[in-house]
Amino acid sequence: MRQVAVIGSGQTRHARCRDDVSQAELVREAAAAALADAGLRPADVDAVLLSNMELFEGRAFPELWVGEGAFACGKPCMKIATGGTSGTSTCIAAFHQVASGMFDTVLVVGFEKHSEGHTQTGMALTDPFWDRAVASGALGNFALSISEYMAERGVTERQAALVAVKARRNAAQNPHAHLQMPELTVDEVLASRMLAHPVRLLDMCPQSDGACAIVVASGDRARRLCPRPAWVRATATRHEQPTLGDIDRRLCSMRTLRDAAHAVYAAAGITEPLAELDVAEIYEPVTYAELAWYEALGFCRDGEAGRLIEDGVTTMDGTLPVNPSGGVLSSNPVGASGVIRVAEAALQIHGRGGSRQVEGARLALATGYGVYAWADAIVLGAES
Amino acid sequence: MSERIVALHTMDLTWRYASGEAMERFCAALCERRIEALQCDGCGRRYLPPRPMCGNCRLRLSRWVPVADEGTLVAWTVVHVPILDGRTGELRPAPYGMGLIRLDGADTTLNHFLAEANPARLALGLRVRAVWRPDLRGAMDDILHFEVLP
Repeated sequence: MRQVAVIGSGQTRHARCRDDVSQAELVREAAAAALADAGLRPADVDAVLLSNMELFEGRAFPELWVGEGAFACGKPCMKIATGGTSGTSTCIAAFHQVASGMFDTVLVVGFEKHSEGHTQTGMALTDPFWDRAVASGALGNFALSISEYMAERGVTERQAALVAVKARRNAAQNPHAHLQMPELTVDEVLASRMLAHPVRLLDMCPQSDGACAIVVASGDRARRLCPRPAWVRATATRHEQPTLGDIDRRLCSMRTLRDAAHAVYAAAGITEPLAELDVAEIYEPVTYAELAWYEALGFCRDGEAGRLIEDGVTTMDGTLPVNPSGGVLSSNPVGASGVIRVAEAALQIHGRGGSRQVEGARLALATGYGVYAWADAIVLGAES
Repeated sequence: MSERIVALHTMDLTWRYASGEAMERFCAALCERRIEALQCDGCGRRYLPPRPMCGNCRLRLSRWVPVADEGTLVAWTVVHVPILDGRTGELRPAPYGMGLIRLDGADTTLNHFLAEANPARLALGLRVRAVWRPDLRGAMDDILHFEVLP
């Protein structure tokens, strides 16, 4: 396999509603920014991969309508959709295309315009016989799993609120972020409206309009074009059984993410992720999930996630800053969210993170999480 | 600045899904207030919803086993915001209790409504029992909700 690197990225301003642009224009905003960041022209791109959950917008084959905005005419172009992991899965597909020698330069664009459609409908159209009559969407699923997680691991509502505060304060340093709340406090999180016990409004991710693009290039091209390429060290994706009830103690066990993390750590030679990783951009749709992922990703032992957030280990000046971007809790255009994780991780390696830069970052983790059925993990690193 | 132009569309749609053999038998049993699971000959796991394959062992399943309409609450929440009913597109009135229930005789859990919506009266490990509708129709909502047993 050939060496592969992320050499550039571009994002829109993510917001509740981007009525100022159509879907194709939103996509073009991110795609053009990524190409400019990589110093490339549209003609330099060999293939385009798109990430979008079209049921959310109710617009069939988005790859047709927005491909033009991603400069895909006359090039190979396809779309990948795997729930929340859509973006990371699409990035991984691009890495494979370049690693295989099939293409030298691939543009990945993820986007979602939640304001245009029915995200809840997309989430409610579950198995027609088993749980459609009773399903309560991502919110209900999470709330159920959180009750098991809290009971087993002793995590508190206050510890979850600390995650919300960290995310929205970090987001204040990210010009692209949707929810920027530099003054947010734990008490404000705990006083926010209850959505589904124990999940409160400020525990949950928003629904955003936004797009994000990355440019993926083969070794020689990457070295020529980018002073500090973010090299792809390892990738893993995992799939799971179909229904919520198939997975015992979901947030505690989380075998998809655990397996994916083990696989990338082994491939990248990482034995102590907390000490060796410089930064992580993880897909945390709800505060409690970030705590559960600390354990699944091996940042701490099972049952220690609450202590990790209390001790500030994952804040910007902690041992391992998690989500300098503000994470999914601050911006969630679903089809873009996984691409954002990879773009932000790459940005840290490029050393172009601006006021959200982790000083000297050389090794970064990006993860994706889709419903409960998928997990992706990606390790990016600086030149060794 | 002039007002933005947006297109608004409203639809009334119908979907039609085939059940498959395993779900057909499951639904037929519901009409008789019975719940049946399919058991894997490899790992022994008793699956609800019953399905023709075990994803972990990659085996075909054909061993039906009876499951009680009573079980243990292994996860719960009280939903406070209206969520769409995926069959009708209507918002379901809130608040309502929800649980993951491990029915006696099954190894997977079932998500369903709880008759109880007071967080102070809900806890992991509670015993619960299905409350059936009088006019059974062979669908999951033949069970109205689960009530907490004393």
